[in-house]
Amino acid sequence: MNCSDWEREIAGEAECEGLEEHLQGCEHCAAFARELEANRVALRELVAPAAAFDAVRRRVLQQIQAKKRRAVWWGWSAVAAAACVAILCVSFVAPRMRNPLAPEPFEANMDPPAIQWTPKPIHHRSSGRLTAKAAPAQKTEPFVVKMLTNDPNVIIIWLVDQKGDSL
Amino acid sequence: MADFRLKAEDAGQSAGLLERAKAGEIGAFDEVMRLHEKQVLNTALRLLGNLQDAQDAAQETFLRLYKSLNRLPDVLAIKSWLYRVTVNVCNDMHRQRRRRAWEPLSGSDPASSLPDPELAWTHQERGHLLEVALQTLPRKERAAVVLRDVQGLSTREVAGILGSSEVTVRSQICEARGKLKKFTDRYLRKHL
Repeated sequence: MNCSDWEREIAGEAECEGLEEHLQGCEHCAAFARELEANRVALRELVAPAAAFDAVRRRVLQQIQAKKRRAVWWGWSAVAAAACVAILCVSFVAPRMRNPLAPEPFEANMDPPAIQWTPKPIHHRSSGRLTAKAAPAQKTEPFVVKMLTNDPNVIIIWLVDQKGDSL
Repeated sequence: MADFRLKAEDAGQSAGLLERAKAGEIGAFDEVMRLHEKQVLNTALRLLGNLQDAQDAAQETFLRLYKSLNRLPDVLAIKSWLYRVTVNVCNDMHRQRRRRAWEPLSGSDPASSLPDPELAWTHQERGHLLEVALQTLPRKERAAVVLRDVQGLSTREVAGILGSSEVTVRSQICEARGKLKKFTDRYLRKHL
């Protein structure tokens, strides 16, 4: 193996036999190995500034919280939309679902029609009738009033019952 | 340099946190992000080479995590899931974005702006140069070397995240390291 082969082995981290001995005897390959190690150390020391980390976390948290707020907003919007649909159904669809031939429901708050009613005085006759139903009616002869005129051929006969009403 | 790999004891401590995050607790999810922010943002930064793009990619990755929390069984699963999603998001952004100018995290052109370039070739300058060099690598090689060398994952873990075989990943890492070294060598020959 020449030095070029050894360099490839060093760079590829191959654990081949004889490498350590070659590095001890060959200054060129030893310098190559030292250079690679120096490069590796220098690469590891390259870090982003501290402020950059804070900025990234802040941006990520802001995005997550904005997404959460949007999710909550959409959730409430969906609830509101569902409520609106339910209200529309109740107010428009439900009345049409009823039997159109059924009588209109009685509105409890409607005032009853005003009735002009005055109690009639109680007459004896009605009570007499009631009593007549209860007991057999007595046959009474109408009271007859005869009025004589100057003409002997004309006689006015006036039939009056016992209460004085005309028959 | 901290090792961002998750250990078993961390997983135990984070289990309750994950459950609370799954239940929708924002504070718990914030803690989960804190646990993984370095992993996600640094990986995205190395893959995209631009802080603004990297922040966008990290944001998208965490939002996907939030959506998928209930499908992830435990914290260990989150770790590898996040790596996979970060790489995918960065690949998508790479395809979609208009090429933005590369922006170094600090300083300007390495070494050349300083009075004595030879003295300026420091550890930090090497890092800035490698930032540029990473952007010259093919997408798959860059992902492999970032996960292996920047995030310190094992070859097996990298293979699992990228959906490749270990042999393929080892080859990609080997190629990428060689190219990075050639890039820095060319730069030094030109400027020093």
